[in-house]
Amino acid sequence: MIWWVMIFCGVVTFFTRFVMFSDMAPKKLPDWSEDVLSFVPVAVLTAIIVPSVLIGADNAVEITDNARLPAAILAVLVAWLTRSVLATIGSGLAALWCLNWLIF
Amino acid sequence: MSPTPSHPSRQQEFWSGVRQELPLQLGVAPFGLVFGVLGLAAGLTPLQTILMSSIVFGGASQVVLVQLWGSVPGPVVGASVSMINLRHALYSASVAPYLRALPLRWRLPLAYLLTDEAYAVTINRLRNETPGPFQHYHLLGTGTLLWVCWQITTITGVVFGATIPPEWSLEFAIPLTFIAVVVPILKRRADFIACGTAAVISVIGQPLPWNSWIILAGMGGIMAGWLSLRIMAGRGDA
Repeated sequence: MIWWVMIFCGVVTFFTRFVMFSDMAPKKLPDWSEDVLSFVPVAVLTAIIVPSVLIGADNAVEITDNARLPAAILAVLVAWLTRSVLATIGSGLAALWCLNWLIF
Repeated sequence: MSPTPSHPSRQQEFWSGVRQELPLQLGVAPFGLVFGVLGLAAGLTPLQTILMSSIVFGGASQVVLVQLWGSVPGPVVGASVSMINLRHALYSASVAPYLRALPLRWRLPLAYLLTDEAYAVTINRLRNETPGPFQHYHLLGTGTLLWVCWQITTITGVVFGATIPPEWSLEFAIPLTFIAVVVPILKRRADFIACGTAAVISVIGQPLPWNSWIILAGMGGIMAGWLSLRIMAGRGDA
């Protein structure tokens, strides 16, 4: 059974990625589509970031007693100032470890 | 299309993709380890866990798949994973204008490699740098590096997973990776509106079935960004 679920998920995921590359996709997209699609990275990645910072194990929003929140805020500041991927990930993980060790 | 000397060569495009993708592996590698551990913990065999990383090849959705496995019926697991990965259709639409003219033998593997992290890096090259006849090699570079890293770290997680302490919170590396990608591309006022809208919907949408909040928040953010862009353009202060 797990094999079938896995193969199903693999096939669906592949076709989701392929759909607009296929010959069935419209050859020419309308002019406004470029503006619309320019928001894809920001909107979709934000939708992944925010719950993984704010939502806890019991599916509830955690504002207090949540070391991920200050660590993520620090990472946003570092990303804003340095534009460095390494500095952003490094500072966020370091902050989370320090906070977990010191306080939480 | 004959390449002029000013265009980057195939090798230059490929390796610039690899180079630009490399720092993101600091976030991808821990996540691969975590997935390896979670797969075994959910009762999958080492082989099933390892092969899932090449059959599905979608980090967040693989984690959800193994977490749901055993607690809900198989079709619900499939629906949930499909819903999470629906966002890739948006990536596909976004990259398609640059790649649609390629032969199928290119479009098939490039679609397979179109993950969050490869898309995030390559879309910057496609939009912001001079178009070149070999620009698709850039996605081949970002995607291949990511694929190799994801397979190696999944295997490492499966083999050494039991020795990784959970208090290291390695899964936190993924939101950090995306923070590193999103913050530098927030430029227009409408980008901030798209970001804020997606953030709010992603939190209040949590109770929705099959993790559909992720695609709803993505679509909501895109619409809010686009509408505000149009309104501001109409007022002349975009």
